[in-house]
Amino acid sequence: MGKYILKRMAHLIWILLAVSFLTFLLMYLAPGDAAEKKLNAQGISVSQEVLERTRQEMGLDRPFLVQYGDWLLGVLRLDLGSSYKDGFPVGEKLARGLGSTLVLALWSLLLSLAVALPLSLLAALHRDGPLDRILRFLSFVGNSLPGFLLSVLLMYLFCVRLRLLPVLADRSLKGLLLPGLSLAIPLCSRFLRQFRAELLEQLGRSYVTGAVTRGVKARYILFRNVLRNASISILTIVGLSVGSLMGGSVVIETIFRWPGLGKLAMDAIRDRDLPVIQGFVLLTAVIYVGINLLTDIAYHWVDPRVREE
Amino acid sequence: MKRIVALVLAVLLALGLLGCAKTEKPAETPAAEPQILKLAESFAYPSLDVHKEYYGWYTSIYGISETLFRVGDDLSIQPLLAEKAETSEDGLTWTVTLAPKAAFSNGKALTADMVARNLKRLAEVNPRFAYLADFNISAAGDQTLTIVTPQIYPTLLSDLTAPELGIMDLDGTADFDNAPVCTGPFVLKSFQPEGTVEVEKNTAYWNEAVKLDGAIFYYMQDDESKLLAMQSGEIDGYTSVTAAAKDIYAADPSRYVLTQIPATRLQFYVLNETRMDDVLRRAVNLAADPGAIAAYLGGTVSPAVGPFTSAAPYGKVTKPAPDPEAAKAALEGAGYTLNKDGFYERDGQPIQLNICYYAARSLDSIAILLQEQLKAVGIDSILTVQEDPDSTYIATGDFDIALYCMIADKAGDPYYCIDALFRQDSRWAIAGFRSDACEALINELQFETNVTRRAELANQIVQMVIDDNAFGFVGLFNKTTVTRKGVEGIAENCPFDFYGVDANTGIG
Repeated sequence: MGKYILKRMAHLIWILLAVSFLTFLLMYLAPGDAAEKKLNAQGISVSQEVLERTRQEMGLDRPFLVQYGDWLLGVLRLDLGSSYKDGFPVGEKLARGLGSTLVLALWSLLLSLAVALPLSLLAALHRDGPLDRILRFLSFVGNSLPGFLLSVLLMYLFCVRLRLLPVLADRSLKGLLLPGLSLAIPLCSRFLRQFRAELLEQLGRSYVTGAVTRGVKARYILFRNVLRNASISILTIVGLSVGSLMGGSVVIETIFRWPGLGKLAMDAIRDRDLPVIQGFVLLTAVIYVGINLLTDIAYHWVDPRVREE
Repeated sequence: MKRIVALVLAVLLALGLLGCAKTEKPAETPAAEPQILKLAESFAYPSLDVHKEYYGWYTSIYGISETLFRVGDDLSIQPLLAEKAETSEDGLTWTVTLAPKAAFSNGKALTADMVARNLKRLAEVNPRFAYLADFNISAAGDQTLTIVTPQIYPTLLSDLTAPELGIMDLDGTADFDNAPVCTGPFVLKSFQPEGTVEVEKNTAYWNEAVKLDGAIFYYMQDDESKLLAMQSGEIDGYTSVTAAAKDIYAADPSRYVLTQIPATRLQFYVLNETRMDDVLRRAVNLAADPGAIAAYLGGTVSPAVGPFTSAAPYGKVTKPAPDPEAAKAALEGAGYTLNKDGFYERDGQPIQLNICYYAARSLDSIAILLQEQLKAVGIDSILTVQEDPDSTYIATGDFDIALYCMIADKAGDPYYCIDALFRQDSRWAIAGFRSDACEALINELQFETNVTRRAELANQIVQMVIDDNAFGFVGLFNKTTVTRKGVEGIAENCPFDFYGVDANTGIG
């Protein structure tokens, strides 16, 4: 297992190098000038002389490879550089955004799993019954609702009509409810359909039929066999979702004033803030690889067949 | 069993929701509630260092920092931390006398030396103000500051109104990013970088009594969230109200007050003289209807005649009213003929104008509307959208009509905009507008100190540009502010974006 983890970590280095180089290149080639964005942030035009001087101060007049090499050397010294936009350390910005995103992502994941797991089990057990149909319809609706619409509808209902929750979300449980729900509803809807499909597949397997004919208790079959066998696929689905959740959600973060990674990255792209973009890309690559690794480790833990392989 | 489980779940849900609800407490004798104003802001920054980037705009909005002079609602320049300013006969030396009572929130008196040091620091830390380093700035006593410029610099007072020139106590400030000590009616209570900012009354304010006890500025970018927060009573006001939200507020005048004034952000287009002849440019300007565009945009912009509001003394220009028939007549008079598709062509060559724009500040809507208005007179066009206009069509000149948006009036003077747009060496010169007479007037404007004469010169210059059909001025963004009834004085009548709460802001 230790060897396997080391191998994956070695892969990570190449992934990070490739991703960072490609991102740097794409941003370098994309039209737009970080110096101009910074100076014109409020719509005030500046002279060419001021623009040139600022570009020089920011190091934007240097060749591509020099800029990339400089950035890479900084990363090797664990320094992600400073934001072009405001000069603040990228590491601090990412840490702040990551903290917020982590709270929201875990909260919405827990909500989604708490609802989707039992409901998908019920739906699978009552296949094509009224409950299954209702749940399939609801999951279809939940999947189809765009994030911004869902957020605004929830806000309107709970903040304006019922006055139960604040529009101005903070880090309290009350403040977390709506952004968490806005992320959890589509996620839960997706989980519901995917988990149901996986559980149905397991329920149709011959080992279930065999166990039923042998008179094994239904609860035992469900929790000890079906759920356990479905857990590999469920873990994969959850792992992939965690990765995307950790990248942040621009829409939800903007609507709920949640200072997460998604909005940070979006603003950085708009401002051509290359150091922040690079930092974000590195971080998300590490998160994705890390979560995949954790998922693989979980396979080992959950499924003895994988351990044997 | 199922019923019991369902009942338990329902009770738990109800309890959860009740837990979130506000608890009604028995009526108590009301203590004097602190007057705290809650506003939403569309921008938030990681620092409150007045001199850096555009952070001074926000310390000014928050009522923390003040400048030597300020621009009034009528665009006049008024003294604030300074009492007066005079120029020497040669026009090179400015003598600024500070207001005798002006003091920082920590009680220290404002001195000319501190002002001089602030201006020098600004020149060092903000590239947009690096030019101040060319000035000889010194204290000539506790209350008198002299600024010697290398050449006549008539816009100095206008420059001194810039919020980045807010004055900080450089010795008394330990943390410029998080806790600047300034002279404004409010002092910082709490600051979340790129988040919520809370200020409280400066009890030692030097100028006048401060009405509010404090204010909270919530960073909210999303328009829907602002509307909902306003409806739920969590905020008391904000600016940049959208057209849709405006209608909602206007329908409930018992709760909300809407204020709308033409501001300083200009939407315009440049006509490429290297590709379009005089007649075609004239036809385009006759076909374009800023009034119809403003109506379509739901009143978020006011139709523009020139780059400045017509309320300003330097905004007195005229242009022909939109007239599609006159546009057609002009084209036909110059030999353009309609082809079988209903579009004009010349010498058998169809005309198809390339309208370049970027999708911000409603320019995407304007591009489509302009295309329709041109089509109505028989001018065919295509739309080209770019994410970044500065490094694409403006840099290359590859356009027939280039849409753009910028602040035209920085602080009550026309020179900045005229210099940026109409000079022969400006980046817009790529579109081919050249007029020696206009350049001579711009040179005169650069050094003219008489305010009335400056307005006359500006009007002449802009009129030349309009008459040449070099530009088309479409709209000036309105500053639309909504407040809860009773709230007043959040700079809702000031066309500039960098003023907010002050000593007179109150909750009725």
